[in-house]
Amino acid sequence: MIWVGWRQQRTETLLAAALLAALAALLIPTGLNMASAYDHGGLASCVGHTDGGGACGAAVDAFVQRFRKLGDLLDWVTLVPGIIGILLAAPFVVALEQRTHRLDWTQSITRRRWVAGKLGLAIVTALVAAVALTLLITWWRAPFVRFQGRMDNSIYDDEGTVVAAYALFALGLGLAVGAAWRRTVPALFVAFAGYFAARLFVDTWLRQRLVSPLTTTWQTKAGGHVLDRAWVLSVNPVDAQGHPLHLAECPAGAGPCEVKAPAVSHFQAVYHPASHFWALQARETALFGIVAITLIAFAAVWTLRRD
Amino acid sequence: MNALELDGLGKRYGSKWALRDCTLEVPAGTVTALVGPNGAGKTTLLQLAVGLTRPSAGSVGVLGLSPQRDARELLPRVGFVAQEHPLHRGFTIAEMLRLGRELNPRWDDALARERIERLELARGQRVGKLSGGQQAQVALTLALAKRPELLLLDEPVASLDPLARREFLTMLMEAVSEGGITVVLSSHILADLERVCDHLVILSHAQTQLAGPIDDVVASHRVLTAPRTDPATVARVHQVIRESHTERQTTLLVRANGHVYDACWEIHPVDLEEIVLAYLGYAPAPLLREAVAG
Repeated sequence: MIWVGWRQQRTETLLAAALLAALAALLIPTGLNMASAYDHGGLASCVGHTDGGGACGAAVDAFVQRFRKLGDLLDWVTLVPGIIGILLAAPFVVALEQRTHRLDWTQSITRRRWVAGKLGLAIVTALVAAVALTLLITWWRAPFVRFQGRMDNSIYDDEGTVVAAYALFALGLGLAVGAAWRRTVPALFVAFAGYFAARLFVDTWLRQRLVSPLTTTWQTKAGGHVLDRAWVLSVNPVDAQGHPLHLAECPAGAGPCEVKAPAVSHFQAVYHPASHFWALQARETALFGIVAITLIAFAAVWTLRRD
Repeated sequence: MNALELDGLGKRYGSKWALRDCTLEVPAGTVTALVGPNGAGKTTLLQLAVGLTRPSAGSVGVLGLSPQRDARELLPRVGFVAQEHPLHRGFTIAEMLRLGRELNPRWDDALARERIERLELARGQRVGKLSGGQQAQVALTLALAKRPELLLLDEPVASLDPLARREFLTMLMEAVSEGGITVVLSSHILADLERVCDHLVILSHAQTQLAGPIDDVVASHRVLTAPRTDPATVARVHQVIRESHTERQTTLLVRANGHVYDACWEIHPVDLEEIVLAYLGYAPAPLLREAVAG
């Protein structure tokens, strides 16, 4: 069954590998370039001193400016685990659509073993691809991360354990929709849209609620050092007791209004410090992982029961 | 021993019975034609036998085993060629054979290679590029190389042109002549199958209408003609499959229950094709009533 399973998902596996290879071809040269700029620019000694201005501040700014465009481009990498998962769901759905699963089921293999073999192979391949992607991006971003931390959504999404969970989730969604619908192209489009919607929901609404954020208040003049590398959810002007200021003086509908400077003596921020990274990752990974396993189990049971 | 035993077998999709209360025995070593119009339940019957679907009622025994409970034991001993014989279109012929080897413990690689060679097919050719007839041959090769004791073929020649049909049936007959194999093949027409098969099952309206050795079937059916008359007296003794009337004459096709003694009927023998045609148009009375009531 291993050869058969591999042969049936060979095209998709090679496509996923080609996608990763193209990314590697882009990232490895620029990454080496970036690492060398980091080493030779003496930037290592600047880590943690970026607010001070001066030589360090300028050097870091120059470094970030030089590589930022590429970094922005990499925001799109967050789609890659979805593409990989959907791609690897395709062979299973194609078999159901073309009814070749019935050819396999009337050989000497039980359908249970067939389903287990096909799905197992897809899961392993998706995980391997996702881990490779994570390692590649994490290595490439390392110099950036030393200055900016990795709490920003666009970085958080590509690092740690969540990438593997995203890929598995996309795979599960593709398998589940495909098993129920048995039309490869529309099913996989719908699954990809579903993947995108779920990611958007988690990125913009759910993630910040997975772990309780911290709150800090500081005097206007002191500055908020504690927010360095943190994921800041909100910053609001407050009075000395920490009560939010009601900006009632602002005329309604007149656009952004300025609060009179003397009234604002303190600011309060709600934020996730860099130390929340792994707690957030663990919970988000568990969330997507459990949903993925449920979807894959649904695809398996539905396929076994339906015929 | 029976290769296939159906007892009150039924399969329902939603509220519609695709196969209902079907009881049938197919003796081992026979070649049975399962004939019926499209939608009669032939595909359902074969899929139940190979375990691709579960029965809604009754039971099916294959080589003395249950396709559902004993799948692991039974599958290596049953070959199946599905309608339209779906193959992995992206596979080469060599890869199709490798699939057979990987998935079947009793796989006979020499037999498979020899058959493919005789078909003059290149092993590197993609299955999707083959003609319909060649694909059917590859599907049959795959099923035969399992060395099955029971071979089930669902409409194997329906989509083939006459030449491909003959080649396919020739290959099948060769395999049968080597012995030790029971074959059940379905078709909506009898043409061509007559020379391959020795048993006949007629399926229509989700039920078996007739089952038995072809010789017995031919021997037990008669065409009766008489000046126009009411066939009620004949129908009391014999089963009237088809009756037709002209102004002056009544013609009956009957399944005779012993001799026909009534002297006013002229008795003619009837060939198999006509018997089958008569059955395909025949609906037993209770089903007709049900159809009207429904």
